[in-house]
Amino acid sequence: MSSQIVNALVLILLSAGIAIPVGHFVVPWAGWAVFCAGLGLQMLFNFRNFARLDRWSQHPVVDASLEGEGAWDGIFGRLYRHEKELRDQIAERDDQIDRLFAALQALTDGVVALDLNQNIVYCNTTAEAQLGVAMERDRGQPIVNLVRQPEFVAYLSAGEFERPLTLRTDRGSDRVLSIFVIPYAGNRRLMQIKDVTQTDRLDRMRRDFVANVSHELRTPLTVLAGFLETLQEIDLDYDDRKRYLNMMAEQSKRMETIVQDLLTLSSIESAPPPENDLVDMTSLVDKLRRDGEALSAGRHQVVADTDGIFDLRGSEPELVSAFGNLVANAVRYTPAGGTVRIEWKATPQGAEFAVEDTGIGIDAKHIPRLTERFYRVDRGRSRDAGGTGLGLAIVKHSLNRHQAQLDIKSTPGVGSRFAARFPASRIARV
Amino acid sequence: MNESQHLSSQFDDELSRLRTHVLQMGGLVETQVSAAIEAYTTGEVASVKTIVETDRKVNELEKAIDDDCAHIIAKRQPTASDLRLVLGISKIVTDLERAGDEAKKIAKGVRRIYENGHLPGQYGVGIRHLAEAALAMVRQALDAFARLDTPQAADVIRADTDVDAEFKSIIRQLITHMMEDPRTITTSIDIIWIARAIERIGDHAKNISEQVVYVVEGRDIRHTKEKVQ
Repeated sequence: MSSQIVNALVLILLSAGIAIPVGHFVVPWAGWAVFCAGLGLQMLFNFRNFARLDRWSQHPVVDASLEGEGAWDGIFGRLYRHEKELRDQIAERDDQIDRLFAALQALTDGVVALDLNQNIVYCNTTAEAQLGVAMERDRGQPIVNLVRQPEFVAYLSAGEFERPLTLRTDRGSDRVLSIFVIPYAGNRRLMQIKDVTQTDRLDRMRRDFVANVSHELRTPLTVLAGFLETLQEIDLDYDDRKRYLNMMAEQSKRMETIVQDLLTLSSIESAPPPENDLVDMTSLVDKLRRDGEALSAGRHQVVADTDGIFDLRGSEPELVSAFGNLVANAVRYTPAGGTVRIEWKATPQGAEFAVEDTGIGIDAKHIPRLTERFYRVDRGRSRDAGGTGLGLAIVKHSLNRHQAQLDIKSTPGVGSRFAARFPASRIARV
Repeated sequence: MNESQHLSSQFDDELSRLRTHVLQMGGLVETQVSAAIEAYTTGEVASVKTIVETDRKVNELEKAIDDDCAHIIAKRQPTASDLRLVLGISKIVTDLERAGDEAKKIAKGVRRIYENGHLPGQYGVGIRHLAEAALAMVRQALDAFARLDTPQAADVIRADTDVDAEFKSIIRQLITHMMEDPRTITTSIDIIWIARAIERIGDHAKNISEQVVYVVEGRDIRHTKEKVQ
């Protein structure tokens, strides 16, 4: 600053130094003219720099070529450094914010930040998929305009967030979400959304399992107890007695089958990996066909179709029981006159054992749950057909132990196809 | 967006609250429709009562929102896009209320079918498919209204043709079924009513979308062959 004043003073003194001799020796007005010209030049110089600063301040850029002249150079230099530092700081902040958002994006839980009026401020991609919103398009929109389920709206407006809200979405896929609302920064809200579809399903399966075991065992037990009471209290003739005892035997046999199946299931679950016997598939398929025919008693056509190239490695008793179960199911759920087709074919990934029928079929919504224990499509019907409700659960476990996938395709009224897909490691060329 | 700034920010608040109320009512109707379809597929008649009771709430909301619209018009004398928004809303709530009524009809039909002990059998899949399409239309129409998104509204209007076609194919199937076995006529007629109600829900979603186009663009595309976008 002081150097600028000195500079300006020196220039004024310089013009005065020239003007005074000129005024003294020539004419006075010429001296004044020279002095004014000196001051004018200095103003012109200052004005040029001022105009440059004015232009720059309208569109500040970090440009090293920006230089002032004379005393102005210092000002321009400081402005340049200030602008540069500011920009570096902003870039660093931007970087930090980007990393923060990237961290939020990386969370497997959905995150939505709401402002004071419950408008969407931010949401990560997980939340976008969970709630069917889009950050770019819906920023500033009240969240309840898009997530309109009445229970969600009520939960958010009630403001009691001790317990998370369990919400079933129906956008796209059927998912169960658990929503935690956390107040932050005053009255703003942060929503954390967990996908609990799988946990919800397991919970339901466990509840269903206990309820089902009790139910399945209680039914025959009630019948048994009823007959026992009758036998204790009423004197029956020999024939009635015999008939009742037969029925009791039937029910106790039924309970035994259920317990046997439960034990099989738990032993498969805890057993070591199956041995690697070579199973002769051509003769096994033929045996399955004969068994199927015997069960059908001539009411169905049972066809076997095998290309005879591969045999299977695994535990023979387990595989026989699993395949036999699929064939028996096909025969049971196919009306008389239908066809049951047993296939053993090579596939690009390995080989496939399939049982196809022209039976009653299964509605698509039951298929994912078919292999759950005691899951029944039609309660009355399958019990009449003699099933324990554990067959497919056992099949699935046996197949899983052989690294095979059970694939079920079905059309109601047309027929079903149950296929066990074995990987290449499980098969051997004949 | 439509939300231009007004001198009175209170007016902006009123309009945005009105929109949120409409969408709340829409959420209720969506739940009604999906609950009715759920009852149809699972046969759980117990939920029918809830659906019928919730319909009363939908009716009350319709009245309350209509009242709000009248108030805004009288007090604020809105013009241009604000006026279109208020007018559009008063038509949208009518369609929503009717869609809610159709959901109630479906629920009652379900109760009749299951109380007579007849199961819809092979019609389960077809009807559910139709219902899912109609429900998606309602959802998209409401999303389009929330976002004032005309391309999505146009999608809904186009989807209505598919729902209509599917409805017709279900009816044809039912007619064949009834001719083959006259004992199924009672159930079949109930199923026809249900299919009809679902098809109407699709129509209401289409009407809502047409109102969205009107609110945003000021074009009235009802009853015209005018192409949307």
